[in-house]
Amino acid sequence: MSTPTTTRDAVIIGGNRIPFVRAHGAYAKASNQDMLTSALNGLIARFGLQGEQLGTVAGGAVMKHSKNFNLVRESVLGTPLDPKTPAYDVQMACATGMEAIGSLANKIKLGQIDSAVGGGVDSISDAPIVVTDELRGILMEANRAKTAGQRLKALAKIRPGHLVPQAPGVAEPRTGLSMGDHMAVTAHAWGITRQEQDELALASHKNLAAAYDAGFFDDLITPFQGVAKDNNLRPDSSMEKLAKLKPSFGRDLGEEATMTAANSTPLTDGAAAVLLGSEEWADAHDLPKLANFVDYEEGAVDFVDGAEGLLMAPAYAAARMLRRNNLTFEDFEFIEIHEAFASTVLAQIKAWEDEDFCRNKLGLDGAMGPIDRSKLNVNGSSLAAGHPFAATGGRIVGTLAKMLHGKPGKLGFISVCAAGGQGITAIIEGR
Amino acid sequence: MASILTSYRKAALGALTSKLTSNGSLRALSSDPEEISHPGASAEQLEAYRTLFGGEAFDGVHRSRLPSVLVHILGFPLQLQLMTRDDFPLQLMGLVHLSNQVEHRSPIAQDQPLRLRAHAENLRPHRKGTQVDIVTEVFEVQAPGAADEAPLWRGVSTYLSRGVFLAGKPGGSEGSRSGAGFTPPSKTAMWTLGADEGRRYAAVSGDYNPIHLSGLSAKALGMPKAIVHGMYTAARVLEGREPDAAGHSWSISFEAPVTLPGKVAVAVEKPDEKMQTFTGWNPKKGRRHFSGELHLP
Repeated sequence: MSTPTTTRDAVIIGGNRIPFVRAHGAYAKASNQDMLTSALNGLIARFGLQGEQLGTVAGGAVMKHSKNFNLVRESVLGTPLDPKTPAYDVQMACATGMEAIGSLANKIKLGQIDSAVGGGVDSISDAPIVVTDELRGILMEANRAKTAGQRLKALAKIRPGHLVPQAPGVAEPRTGLSMGDHMAVTAHAWGITRQEQDELALASHKNLAAAYDAGFFDDLITPFQGVAKDNNLRPDSSMEKLAKLKPSFGRDLGEEATMTAANSTPLTDGAAAVLLGSEEWADAHDLPKLANFVDYEEGAVDFVDGAEGLLMAPAYAAARMLRRNNLTFEDFEFIEIHEAFASTVLAQIKAWEDEDFCRNKLGLDGAMGPIDRSKLNVNGSSLAAGHPFAATGGRIVGTLAKMLHGKPGKLGFISVCAAGGQGITAIIEGR
Repeated sequence: MASILTSYRKAALGALTSKLTSNGSLRALSSDPEEISHPGASAEQLEAYRTLFGGEAFDGVHRSRLPSVLVHILGFPLQLQLMTRDDFPLQLMGLVHLSNQVEHRSPIAQDQPLRLRAHAENLRPHRKGTQVDIVTEVFEVQAPGAADEAPLWRGVSTYLSRGVFLAGKPGGSEGSRSGAGFTPPSKTAMWTLGADEGRRYAAVSGDYNPIHLSGLSAKALGMPKAIVHGMYTAARVLEGREPDAAGHSWSISFEAPVTLPGKVAVAVEKPDEKMQTFTGWNPKKGRRHFSGELHLP
């Protein structure tokens, strides 16, 4: 039996992604596999991993064709990695990338593997379109038929309405509400204003633009299909421009509707990947050690009848994770909260700063806050960069690890919400 | 028992003849019940119901009992048979389903043989006409001659006949406009109902009332568009919320009909562990479609 009594560090060596682009645009002809393979190829080239047999590659896509049942393995086979590198698919909605990276870090900590790549990809432009449940039922019945007569009898049940192609829904299956409309209910309940949301959206664009200008992304992004930069970025945006937009979500709130296309993330295509390894593996391959992946926590809330907001799970996960690590928000150098919507970030922050919420919902002695806004998403986040669902975890981990590099012991906090009332929080530590 | 289609055909013919007595007033209400044996709901019926409402599987272990709206569906032909009897004082065609109350006292299994009984009571004035309660009771099958035990399930469906008034009685105050001043609660769900939702529920329930089937058939009966069955909305709210082991009760009141295709904003609230309230409304016009309560054991 080789049960380890201690764990070792899981080191973040570096990240790579392709630029994120607005859906039905530059990557309209690219598949998930195309984009993920390209992001992996960039990572492999940057760290000289050609011919290398890695411990495991894990990742996923939220919108996935059934033909992509082995999306990550097929992508790996398209790269110069040793084909003996195993790979598996993960899916936890928008937290897919975080779950892939977190679970790989655990394997490294336990000594099960020495190296890994985690990440994700999503395409709205090449979303799987399927037939209706009725047509599928009829086709399967015809498939099971033993005689031509039985087959005809089954096929004769097809009606014109059955033939309408079914695009993947944007609504939560159990409530029928879109994610934005769910968020609008939560934002309204927390009294989050249009002004606050627009300010956060503007800051995201300004911060991302400044990071590009400073060359921050030079070693984090490789071009794809002629695109070199996230094309949702609006460096010249202003509060005046944002104020002109009409609400997109929660419109039944009338005058009190606050969520617009600008303070909500656009539908986006893209892919991201992060290279992890043990200290020994990184040293043996002469690779940088940017940060340690310290810990992560999954959370879920009871959102179906509105007991909690759909995207509030990270608020709960953070409370457990920080208590376990004996940390408070003041201990963090940088705070990365995925901007599904500006109001998602603001609602989580308000919750952590709220005495009643922290006592009654999180079971703490008092508020977890305050959160220093100057530490928040300092190089931009999803509102500016875009949010190809499963790729966001890889984008954030790669970005934050680079920010913490050269700051040994300094901590970074990550929060990513996900459909189904779920979410993940994580801690990484600079080195 | 007459089939639902036979009952509707009889009702359509009956619509041509007057229900009024020679002096122009409504007949008295007969309390004679209709009664039948029923073989119980089949696996196919349960599966068709589940396909429509998308709930958890009837796996025979964790979920095997009939949802209370499916029990209502079993009793519905009997209701129609009662309401198309010559001694029933109101015209079936055009009756408006105002509300429904159900006590689902004991669980009812798939293929469990049942005795169903329905009677009419409480013919009374309404602001817009006359209303009546149809009480449906569902019993276990007893040995011949044995007295009925308490019903497993008891439902009261209240219907309104518009523009028909009881002799010597002014329009009642009951049924006063309850939708006025409605402020929608915070929504917890949004239903998107297709143009075929009425036909789909008709296929599951057997209730092929033309007002639910298509815009054309609804227009023929004076509705601008097809409307969804009231009990469809009840079933959809109760799905995943009522206990398989029964012992619960619920009620629903129907207000503005849900036209098809359409969206319904829904709020389920839980004032305490034993009680849930639910409300459905038109998210654009803010008009309430239904409201009700579920009381858990």
